[in-house]
Amino acid sequence: MTPAIDVEDLTKDYKVGFWRPRPYRALDRLTLQVQPGEVFGFLGPNGAGKTTTLKLLMQLVFPTAGRASILGRPVGDLGVRQRIGYLPENPYFYDNLTAEELLEYFASLFGYSRSDCQARASRLLDEVGLGAERRMQLRKYSKGMVQRVGIAQSLLNDPEVLFLDEPMSGLDPLGRRDIRELILRLRERGTTIFFSSHILSDAETLCSRVAIVAGGRLATVGTLRDMSGFEVRGWEVVMTGVASTVLATLASRGVKATTVADGRYTFDLPKDASAEAFVAEMHAGGARLVSVAPVHTTLEEIFVQQVHKAGSAREGAL
Amino acid sequence: MIAAPRWALGVIVVAGIAAAIALQVHRDTSYPEVASPVEELYFTSGDSIGRLALSFKPMLADIYWIRAVQYFGSTRLDAKGAAESGTESTSHYDLLYPLLDVTTTLDPHFNIAYRFGAIFLAEGYPSGPGRPNLALKLLDKGFAVNPTKWQYLYDKAFVAYWSLKDYQAAAHWFSEAAKVKGAPPWMPGLAAFMLGQGGDRRSSRFLWQQILDTSEQQYMRDNATFHLTQLDMADVADQLTALLQRYRAQTGQSVMDFSPLVRAGWLRAVPADPEGVPFLIDPQTGRATLHRPSRYAPLPDEQPGAAAGPR
Amino acid sequence: MSPKSLGRIALAVFRESVRERVLYNLVGFALLVIGASYLIGQMTAGQDVKIIKDLGLSAMAIFGLFIAIFIGIGLVSKEIERRSIYSLLAKPVRRSELVVGKFLGLALTVAINLAVMTVVWYGVLAYMSWSEIDLVKKGWEAPAADPRLLVAVYLLFVQLVLVIALALFFSTFAEPLWATVFTFGLYVAGHFSADLKHFDVIVGDSPVRYVTTGLYYLLPNMATFDVKNAVVHAQLVPYGYVLTATAYGAFYSLALVAAAVLIFSKKDFK
Repeated sequence: MTPAIDVEDLTKDYKVGFWRPRPYRALDRLTLQVQPGEVFGFLGPNGAGKTTTLKLLMQLVFPTAGRASILGRPVGDLGVRQRIGYLPENPYFYDNLTAEELLEYFASLFGYSRSDCQARASRLLDEVGLGAERRMQLRKYSKGMVQRVGIAQSLLNDPEVLFLDEPMSGLDPLGRRDIRELILRLRERGTTIFFSSHILSDAETLCSRVAIVAGGRLATVGTLRDMSGFEVRGWEVVMTGVASTVLATLASRGVKATTVADGRYTFDLPKDASAEAFVAEMHAGGARLVSVAPVHTTLEEIFVQQVHKAGSAREGAL
Repeated sequence: MIAAPRWALGVIVVAGIAAAIALQVHRDTSYPEVASPVEELYFTSGDSIGRLALSFKPMLADIYWIRAVQYFGSTRLDAKGAAESGTESTSHYDLLYPLLDVTTTLDPHFNIAYRFGAIFLAEGYPSGPGRPNLALKLLDKGFAVNPTKWQYLYDKAFVAYWSLKDYQAAAHWFSEAAKVKGAPPWMPGLAAFMLGQGGDRRSSRFLWQQILDTSEQQYMRDNATFHLTQLDMADVADQLTALLQRYRAQTGQSVMDFSPLVRAGWLRAVPADPEGVPFLIDPQTGRATLHRPSRYAPLPDEQPGAAAGPR
Repeated sequence: MSPKSLGRIALAVFRESVRERVLYNLVGFALLVIGASYLIGQMTAGQDVKIIKDLGLSAMAIFGLFIAIFIGIGLVSKEIERRSIYSLLAKPVRRSELVVGKFLGLALTVAINLAVMTVVWYGVLAYMSWSEIDLVKKGWEAPAADPRLLVAVYLLFVQLVLVIALALFFSTFAEPLWATVFTFGLYVAGHFSADLKHFDVIVGDSPVRYVTTGLYYLLPNMATFDVKNAVVHAQLVPYGYVLTATAYGAFYSLALVAAAVLIFSKKDFK
């Protein structure tokens, strides 16, 4: 199956300095693939090369080396741009146009009929939650409103692949929830979504796979479970109706218990312990199970670990 | 990414500029009068231009100065061409005074503009504007702003002497010039000389020689040389006239031109001006003189009050 | 390059610029000047029509220039600086279409603005013609609402199109402030370029002469389009001249737009 996004050895050098420009490597031989239908998180600290990668994919900048293709066609292909959508980071549009006019204008560039443009604009403005404000000039919009317009314009052509650069930026928690749900809806429809972010919790909930870049290099890529540094550390079992005598017994065995509320406790079991056996034993003692969950390295921990590794690698290279 | 390959665009850029340049050349040759920047002297008051130009006044003064010189040169060429073909010249140097006026308003200390203006505004018709009164007006303006410049009063005297043939006025201005601190010591003597001799070729020669010796500008020196040569030609004409009279007295023949004298060995060759235009004998006066197309015609008269041409 | 894309971009540029408040201020000022010229004309005996014609054309030239530079820079250089252009570049539009579309939109804006000013100007002139007594009118070199004046307006338009091309060209690689400085600077230089040709009087035979002559031909000659004096005095501007000037403006603008496309196509938007 043709990958939706295929990047091979993509490299970008910028010239830095006025008198004797030296090359600054913003992206170093990035290689990855995104399959159709995936929600792919592109994570990294500021300056890691996330936005550079997105710009290279949108052909806003030209690569120093390597190649990239979208839906099997080289980046920049005019036909492909008919089928993709892009939300830039901190978008800015045309002050004097209204949101409606902007969307209709952008829609017209895809070649839709006038009525089709108006229909699409209207539908998407509804979907991102812009009501009567759509007839106000964009100069009067708050950051959050502009962000919503940005998302709307990226969806005008019902894209097969959607590129989002920091889609949650500028949104309050309600707005972020709306966009999260929108992304999930798009995923249902089979849209491939490639989004860059430094908010890890969003990535954890939404993405099927993630890539972590740091210092211009790809640190790791894959599902959360497949990532290097990922490990299950133990189990967290929550139970109610635990008698204090049982607690004392468990304490002597070395099982830690934390009080959550009256009669409700959280137990931390080590990795190799059998959660099932523990639950059965507690159940026999009269307690009732609330939840069992694995304790694993969080994305944040992996993230920090990878960034540190990349940082020291870069220092070593300098 | 682009409709045409990159090299094609480069070709368009170069071809476009080349075509534009070609069109400029065509326009300059075919339509020299339309939108000519000199004739469109839209603002005739130096003050309004000065206010617009703000701190760029001196630069603007330079530009107007260049235009004045170019205007004078091209108009003179026109006049010369007209004279040679016997037609009327269309321009009468009308813009020369306004251009110089604007220049000196923008930069009141623009020395050369005053002096150039004086000489060339006074230059007799038809090769020059023949406007000595405007020359005086310009020099008055210059002296008002620069009271240490005795040269402007000297120039006024010169205009009075040469163009207006008003020797009293010339003497007056020479003595006024002498009063300015820094004026050369021979100035009072010149004033006295003027009163005594006025119209004499010696004094004329003296004044033109002064200009030739002190001018820093090539065209002013050339102009002085021209006038000095013209005076020389007047001397030669006098000598030839004297020779003619002796010839007539001796042979009893009245001659139409100088070839008989050459044949008779009185002259080595037909006398001519430095460009080779031969001297003629004026049929009405019997005197040797130069006529057109000689550059030096008409020769300056010796008689005080005689006009050099229409004003 | 599809004409449909060009048309859409051009219209969007036009709509965006028509809403610019500064534009309205500038046009308003121009109309004010044209109206005021009528009053000024009343105060100078006999010269009134000439003054209205002069002032009107000058006002249109100056304000037209400010409009051309302001929207030219604002709609390209500022757009690049503010990154509004990113989302536009991701659409199925070629970069070359973007540049040419912008150019056409700006030219359209300038044309409409000039048309508005011309209509008001002619209105004032027509009123003059209607209200003045025949005796005074006999003394005029040309009728007040002289249709030949349109030649000057037309050439002014060609000149402003050239200014727009300049602004567009500089916008592709310079920030708004510098693009403005360069464009305005070249406009001023272009007005005095004719004097460069006559520099040989001052400079003599030195090699500097080649530099000044070369500059004369290379710089955009803005004075070519200035036929104010001719039309105000009802002198005929030959058709050949108008054609030559139009062709000059067209070719120079073409070169500038092509250069802008060249630069824009390979530009990294950091």
